[in-house]
Amino acid sequence: MGDTAKKSKPFKYDKWIPYLFILPSTLIIVAFLFYPIGTVFYYSFQNYDISAPFYNSFAGFDNFIKIFTEDEQFFPSLWTSVKWVVSQVGLQLIFGLIFALLLNQTFKLRGLVRAIAFIPWAISGVLASVMWALLYNEHMGVFNDLLMKLGIIDEPKAFLASTSSAFISVVIAELWRGIPFFAITLLASLQSIPGELYEAAAGDGANKLRQFFHITLPHLKNTIVLTTLLRTVWEFNNVDLIFNLTGGGPAQSTTTLTMYIANLAVYGSDFGYGSALTVISFGLLFIFAVLYLKLSRFERE
Amino acid sequence: MLNVKKRSNKILFFYLPLTLMLTWTIFPIYWTINTALKSEGDIMKRPLEYFPSAPTIENFVMAWNNVGFATFFKNSLVVGISTVLVVIVLSILSGYALSRYQFKGKRSFLLMLLSTQFIPRAMLIIPLFIIFKNLGLISHPLSLIITYTAVEIPFTTILMSGFISNIPKELEEAAAVDGCTKLQAIRYVLLPLALPGIVATGVFTFIYTWNEFLLALMLTNEQTRFTLPVGLSFMMGEFNVNYGALAAGSVIALVPAVILFAYAQKHLVSGMGGAVKG
Amino acid sequence: MFKKYFLTPILMIMVLGLVACGNDGDESSGSGTGKVSEDVVELTFWDENAGPQRTPIWEELIERFEAENPDISIEYVGLPNSSSKSKLDTAIAANNTPDIGSVQTSWLPEFSARDALLPLDDYFADSELSGLINEGAIEFNKEIVADSKLYGIPYTQNLDVIWIRSDWFEEASLDAPETWDDFFHAVEAMTDSERYGYTIRGGAGGSIQLQRLMFAYTGFEQYFDEDGNAVVGDPANVEFLERYFDLYKAYTPESDITNDYKEMIAGFDTGVVAMVHHNIGSFGEHNKAFEPHQFEAIPLPKTEDGRYVAEGGNTINVAIFNSTEHPDEAWRFVEFINSAESQSYWNEQVGQIPTNSEVLEMEWIQDAPHIETAFEVYDDPNTILYQPPFYLPDYRSILDNIVDPGIQAVMSGEKTIEEFLTEWATAMEESEAKYKEVFNE
Repeated sequence: MGDTAKKSKPFKYDKWIPYLFILPSTLIIVAFLFYPIGTVFYYSFQNYDISAPFYNSFAGFDNFIKIFTEDEQFFPSLWTSVKWVVSQVGLQLIFGLIFALLLNQTFKLRGLVRAIAFIPWAISGVLASVMWALLYNEHMGVFNDLLMKLGIIDEPKAFLASTSSAFISVVIAELWRGIPFFAITLLASLQSIPGELYEAAAGDGANKLRQFFHITLPHLKNTIVLTTLLRTVWEFNNVDLIFNLTGGGPAQSTTTLTMYIANLAVYGSDFGYGSALTVISFGLLFIFAVLYLKLSRFERE
Repeated sequence: MLNVKKRSNKILFFYLPLTLMLTWTIFPIYWTINTALKSEGDIMKRPLEYFPSAPTIENFVMAWNNVGFATFFKNSLVVGISTVLVVIVLSILSGYALSRYQFKGKRSFLLMLLSTQFIPRAMLIIPLFIIFKNLGLISHPLSLIITYTAVEIPFTTILMSGFISNIPKELEEAAAVDGCTKLQAIRYVLLPLALPGIVATGVFTFIYTWNEFLLALMLTNEQTRFTLPVGLSFMMGEFNVNYGALAAGSVIALVPAVILFAYAQKHLVSGMGGAVKG
Repeated sequence: MFKKYFLTPILMIMVLGLVACGNDGDESSGSGTGKVSEDVVELTFWDENAGPQRTPIWEELIERFEAENPDISIEYVGLPNSSSKSKLDTAIAANNTPDIGSVQTSWLPEFSARDALLPLDDYFADSELSGLINEGAIEFNKEIVADSKLYGIPYTQNLDVIWIRSDWFEEASLDAPETWDDFFHAVEAMTDSERYGYTIRGGAGGSIQLQRLMFAYTGFEQYFDEDGNAVVGDPANVEFLERYFDLYKAYTPESDITNDYKEMIAGFDTGVVAMVHHNIGSFGEHNKAFEPHQFEAIPLPKTEDGRYVAEGGNTINVAIFNSTEHPDEAWRFVEFINSAESQSYWNEQVGQIPTNSEVLEMEWIQDAPHIETAFEVYDDPNTILYQPPFYLPDYRSILDNIVDPGIQAVMSGEKTIEEFLTEWATAMEESEAKYKEVFNE
């Protein structure tokens, strides 16, 4: 990347090729994503409730004012989103890196083990919630059974039901599904590190830990920046497991901003207000992405 | 002495974490299969059975036969495979443009890709529905193929441009010297080297389409056109409690993804570095 | 190795299998449409609660209808219960509705206000159905919509009941509770080290069930009093909820706080709890789990002055959508579904109450004790059916987004009962005031 030196120009019309190549993707994205996103921005300035057409009217900034002055759920749900994203991305990265380092070793049946380790990634949020709901269940769940056999608890616990454990329980379930994504991308990146670097470092007397911090991590930097950024955006908007495991409860302890929007606009019908909330979350993610890329000095050595 | 220490180190720092990792990954899946193989009475029975004492396939039969599961399965395959093909072609093109050229508007294009991910898809349903209604594509697999393509392209483009930028440019230039056109150079020189990237793109895309529920339900108005996730949701409503059939349906839905992984994992991770070395 | 010898054959078998399946499907559907002649009217029917239980019932009825009416073909589309409302919302917003649909009564005011439904008054007046369908239910449907027209014909009626383990009550020589004091006593008496006396629905849908319990306890007949205050905020409800939520954890499972239908019913059917509040529609599940003598349905307890108070509009209707090009043919389907024979088939399979009076004399009705229980309530001259404000566009959204989480906040001790009820009442009152403002001008 970044080689601006274009000494030879072997192809004709070279200047237009990149535009020609991105054209189909751009067309599809503009028509089928940007136009709908535009309507969301438009409706954020309207009173638009699809189940109550008689209330519909121009709202100006009313929706936004209401969000910041009256809405008691906005800031708590935003805070839950922050906790959700930070814990998900942080833990997925750490465990994903551990998985990748393990899977990068040479051992028997490595291909099979890798395939197994990646499977949770292929499982949808809905399926994963079915699985974890079975595991967590108070009456017939296997976790309770195991913990009681081990003598850790005396009576069955309802993991998803208490405000103290519901959040962490959903985090664990989503973690199970999220780790493989990091494991795969980091493993791919690990494999592109030339072995000579380690040999040279070992020759200089650097131990494994030093090698990890001085060779491995710097090399993984770009991958880590990009994957954590994408993952942050995805996890921010991801409600599958929350929706199916706790529905945002108990007592809104697992209601993220996106979950709140979904309840309001999709399973409720207040699209105007839901759109305004969406615009705010769009703005927050946008600012975050720009700052993150700037501060992490992405693609700069 | 040294050898013993080395060995115990290997157990402590390699085999132990590896075992933990596999247990953590497999157990939820094992438990679902275990549940699917039990009869309804045995699922609720206590003490819990860690291995089905009287395994039965009745749940699988029930899940497969109920409400047209086989049709849903087929629809999911059609939508999934078509989307994969479209996405692969489009992301090779745009990924190539991004990695091989410096052009005006490149940053805007990247920003555009990224910003599509900032909105919960649920908010886009009504406008999308209206677009496809006007195109006459409601209930047509194309509506899902197009939407899924639009949703997946931003990520797969970035992914593909990453793969391609690790492939030495000189190879194509050499091909050009030999008289190849641009597209020929891409087709015969670049693509074989970019195979892992293509596989990864395909797997990413397939998994998304295979699991997507909300758009699949909303853009389809015909029973025979629903995809698998919609079929699974029929087993979860009020007045339907059948953990066994639900688990069996989940296992059935898992099978293609697992096979895909077994097949693709080598390419999936042989990744950028591997392609260049080869 | 693994791949070559193991996976490749599997994959090939799968692909071949699919191709085979695909051909089968195409052939059968091909020949199906082949038989149909040019002038067959095609109608689409949306089922709002599809699943392994109900879909086959509808398919059977449609088959019978098509046999009787060769000039009409019905295309069935099943929607998963939890998403059917948003699917219909989208369809209406995009003007892409089906011809006919199964529509919950609480949706009628909204759908009619959005001009999505066809008024059926004239069809119904001229039909042989008129006079046969439960008059109260028909009247109710007219009362709740803004223009007092009939937008749906109810084909099934439900009622909230408490399912109890009769065998355990017998062992303990305890009678099934009739008053609220009996109820609270029974919950305590049934709890021991092995089981819980009761289970509370704290998760999705909990608000609706709680509301019905509150009215059954306090005996209010209107949702708002003359001054426009929602009666849910009344101190009588504070008193009830204090007793009710005191049961939580002491006599009920801890997981109740996120209980939705599945967990709650599973608790009862696995013998973990002795009593559960749901409706007669879950009969089928209990019937699978128990012998007939082990369980029964009892009405929600009576108020202090001895009346049953139940929520009106607990019916589901067949409705015709405004966009249909074949209203006459659509009406023939509505009539068919509400005929004695079809209603009888549907309701017997599901275990609910038909609305067609001719069905009520049939044998299976007489033999079904849980339906008898429902009639005990509906036929009692002192029974009051209160009318929830279905016309408020955010009625359901308040229940889902304010009351449901509120219940959990109370159960987890984060809110007091007074705070919870005030919040609930205020939300309803504000919505009512806003509605009145628009419609009185």
